[in-house]
Amino acid sequence: MKEISTIPVFSLNNADKNDFMLRNMNSLTQLHLKNCFEYKSLMEKFENIKQSYDSLLDIPFIPVRLFKYSNLLSIEKKDIVKTMTSSGTSGQSVSKIFLDKETASLQIKVLSKIMADFIGKKRLPMLIIDSKSIISNREKFSARTAGVLGFSIFGRNVEFALNDDMTFNYERVESFLKKYESESILIFGFTFIIWKHFVLELEKAGKKLNLSTSILLHGGGWKQLENQSVDNIEFKNRVLNISSISKIHNYYGMVEQTGSIFVECEFGFLHASSFSDLIIRNHQTHHPENQGSKGLIQLLSVIPKSYPGHSILTEDLGTIYGVDNCKCGRMGKYFKVHGRIKSAEIRGCSDTYS
Amino acid sequence: MIHIPEDIKKKISFLIGKANQVSNAPVVVFDESRTKFLSDLSIELLSNSSIRQYPDVATFAFWCRSSNLNKIIKNHRTSRLRVGLGMVYHNSPSNVPVNFAFSLVFGLLSGNTNVVRLSSKGSDSELIILNVISELLATNKYSEIRQFISIIRFDRDDEVNKFWMSVADGRVIWGGDETVSKMRSFQCKPRSREIVFPDRFSLCVINANKIVKVSESDLKKICQNLFNDVYIMDQNACTSPQLFNWVGNDSSIKKAKDRLWPEFSKYIRQIHSLEPIQYMNKYVDACRNALSNDNIKSIKHENNLLFNIELSHFNNKQQDQRGYFGTIHEISIKNLNDLAAIIDDRCQTLTYFGFDNKELKNFIVSNQLHGIDRIVPIGRSLDMDVIWDGYDIINHLSRTIDIY
Repeated sequence: MKEISTIPVFSLNNADKNDFMLRNMNSLTQLHLKNCFEYKSLMEKFENIKQSYDSLLDIPFIPVRLFKYSNLLSIEKKDIVKTMTSSGTSGQSVSKIFLDKETASLQIKVLSKIMADFIGKKRLPMLIIDSKSIISNREKFSARTAGVLGFSIFGRNVEFALNDDMTFNYERVESFLKKYESESILIFGFTFIIWKHFVLELEKAGKKLNLSTSILLHGGGWKQLENQSVDNIEFKNRVLNISSISKIHNYYGMVEQTGSIFVECEFGFLHASSFSDLIIRNHQTHHPENQGSKGLIQLLSVIPKSYPGHSILTEDLGTIYGVDNCKCGRMGKYFKVHGRIKSAEIRGCSDTYS
Repeated sequence: MIHIPEDIKKKISFLIGKANQVSNAPVVVFDESRTKFLSDLSIELLSNSSIRQYPDVATFAFWCRSSNLNKIIKNHRTSRLRVGLGMVYHNSPSNVPVNFAFSLVFGLLSGNTNVVRLSSKGSDSELIILNVISELLATNKYSEIRQFISIIRFDRDDEVNKFWMSVADGRVIWGGDETVSKMRSFQCKPRSREIVFPDRFSLCVINANKIVKVSESDLKKICQNLFNDVYIMDQNACTSPQLFNWVGNDSSIKKAKDRLWPEFSKYIRQIHSLEPIQYMNKYVDACRNALSNDNIKSIKHENNLLFNIELSHFNNKQQDQRGYFGTIHEISIKNLNDLAAIIDDRCQTLTYFGFDNKELKNFIVSNQLHGIDRIVPIGRSLDMDVIWDGYDIINHLSRTIDIY
């Protein structure tokens, strides 16, 4: 897809963006119908096969959880260069995503364009709020590992802030900060790790760092922080208080659509780039919801060619607040994520004897 | 009285009854003081101001009313003497709150002392019934009955289960295959009897021609009935129909489906909704199903409340193809006998529409079926009774004594 290098990442207007997405979604849908037997069979059974779909709203989607149960791929096995897996607590099945060379390279291209818009094209000294063992211990290749490795390419002179036992290494961090005193630094980590091993740790130790020129990028979900009633605003305030970082960007994305992440702007909204989009759907009818209404998030991405993940229905709830008119100046849809739909109990006769 | 060893006693909490007052004395079947107690229980429950919010409690209370008990007594009339077994131990299911109460009543009517273990998961319905039972038992009128009812809780513990199994004259085990085999692993008295409720599969059979011809108002009634069968217990009770079998020729089946399903879908939308995760689970399950079963022809879901999964043929694991919260697997067959191919001993309830008693009886007998223990009209799949799962529970939990 040559277009990726020529298309601006956040300045397509709604009409152009729609044309671009619809064209790509149509061709990806046909590609996967042709190359992925399971995808085709699913679409046949749901009676949802068309030569061409008239609107983005009509593009078929599949539930993201399906990647946990089936190996869905649209390439020959021999062409797999990388298999990505989702995190998942023990006992749960994990998503398996199969990449070929082309899809893997598209991921990097799209991610680079999105990142450049937020941190600039120049690579910055990078401090990762995690331990180095996360990338050196190959037996534990988790989503965290993939994230750290994936984002490391946007930094230089990468340093890790935590020891292997997840304690904060003040000495190492202070010498890193001293070395790059005059530069802005990219700080990266997973939301709950930053909270637990950076914010709470520094607060407890009564220490403060001056990182006022740095940019913090974090993602991975809010589930564990929600349990402690910590929302994005609280998170930002507490980070600012201990480190003077004011440029804090959360990102939203999932392993099933690696690359086309949604980054939070200066005004607190997540943004769809030119290469991805979202539709909010009603959980009961799957009909699209209006702007301002809460519903299930369907994600579209032009990246997935090696597996049928270009249009997936997530289990996250979100609200779109507008298109092309965010105060930050970025075009496209902007939105917020409210977390995952809650689990519920089922009635019935069965019972384990406990 | 049953002696409970100290180390066992301290692991059990008695919600109703006392550890040193568990009798094992059998009394006659349908003992009058007990039927009076049950009919008072019914009256008390039905006069409870919050009963409307708990349809399951109301159903139980309505079942216990004296006119229904009299009907049961009449149906069991015999000149022979019948007395209970002694002490019957009940292991109740966790997800159908009122079944513990039905189980208790079955044990009382058949002349037994009852030790009922509740699941660890409490519920409002359970609490309402427990409160009324305990109030009634506190009165002098029913002081004689106290020793025959113990309702208990204990944490999962093999030693406690082992004890109860060693002293019980009968056991009623709800809760599916796993629970049944676990409880069977304990040594029981040689003469003890058991009633077990393992995992079951239930189905529905519909005469397409009859659906085509019913009046609009009858069609509405059919929708209400199907709703009760499918949605009230999340389609997860052992009696909930999983597979819908349409009997007729292709054109009448098509006509019947085109008439019934849109009407049904409309009806459910007006009165029912699910949790977001339940819609999602249904949708994901339907997709998984579609990927792993070659007998699925199409999946229709205009609204996520109702999924219609059309099958081209029975597969060899038909009873594993299940759905919940309103997931209807359906298949077309030429006549009732075609259904025999998938009936085995796991099949429990057959709900029907448009067939007469003779046809249904003939279906069971002529096909020499191992399964199907209940045949009820649509809408009544959840109706609990003393004839259940192929048992006549009253007879099974009592001894019949011939006196010449």
